[in-house]
Amino acid sequence: MNAPLLTQDQKDALQEIANIGMGQAGASIAKVLDEFVQLSIPRVLFVPPEEIPVALALTIGEGQVSSVRQAFHGSMRGEALLVYGDQRCNDLADLMGYDGKLDHASELELLLDVSNVLAGACLGEIAKQLGMTIGFSAPSLMADAVPLESLLQAEALPWKTALLVEVNFRLEQRSFACHLVMLMPENEVAALAAALDRFLESF
Amino acid sequence: MARKMLIRALPPEWDIEITQAGSGREALDAYRAGRVDVMFLDLTMPEIDGYTVLETLRREDLNCLVIVVSADIQEKAQERVLDLGAIAFIKKPVDAAKVQAVLKDYGIIV
Repeated sequence: MNAPLLTQDQKDALQEIANIGMGQAGASIAKVLDEFVQLSIPRVLFVPPEEIPVALALTIGEGQVSSVRQAFHGSMRGEALLVYGDQRCNDLADLMGYDGKLDHASELELLLDVSNVLAGACLGEIAKQLGMTIGFSAPSLMADAVPLESLLQAEALPWKTALLVEVNFRLEQRSFACHLVMLMPENEVAALAAALDRFLESF
Repeated sequence: MARKMLIRALPPEWDIEITQAGSGREALDAYRAGRVDVMFLDLTMPEIDGYTVLETLRREDLNCLVIVVSADIQEKAQERVLDLGAIAFIKKPVDAAKVQAVLKDYGIIV
């Protein structure tokens, strides 16, 4: 049995910091869409990469998803995945004032823009709270309406264990929902653990 | 963790007994047991969320002061909780000076 990569205290701290990041991201997207965004309690868990779809199905449900990935680097490194349910683009286009006449390419561009706002606000705030540096690569489309279980096959992650931090955004009165998943390979978790310790020491 | 961060931000000279609740349900239990004069309430919680706690308190004759402490900093979230009877909204991470100012405003501390 390996030692856990994060202690319970470190996980608790990360969950609360993810909560603060989620709040920032929720407020940013609420402003862009002019809608009330419902937030949920963040999840923090370690999973082997092949079990990520199963872990996500718990909150996302079954069905087709689209996904955007965005790598982040700095003293905090990993991948952000933004996973959207079926209805994502109709609702988004509608909200942004397009008349349902948005072509597929523009829809996807919109999805990238929204992803960029959410990931930047959420992870940026997490890094800030932890005194870590973070930069972002450009977001790219990872999956366009595929079954959830096939989400990561095309982009297999060569990691043994991934730290999964998940926050969810849901619009009231709409079917739009986005799941932001922060993935870190186990060899990047040590830097995060050290930052969490510094954060915890301030208590 | 959220509770520790809040407790650290409370004025050290404030002579109080603190009851911690891990969920909205526990908060309501503590309130009903008469242990609460001032409640610091999160919005995103297991079982019963902060909005529901506020609604319930109002139905049950709200007689404690509720200060919402949340990472949900949407303007609409702040409007909603104030409409539901909270006296103030403090965003996370909690700033001790802000807590002190709210408590002074309401004459809870001098």
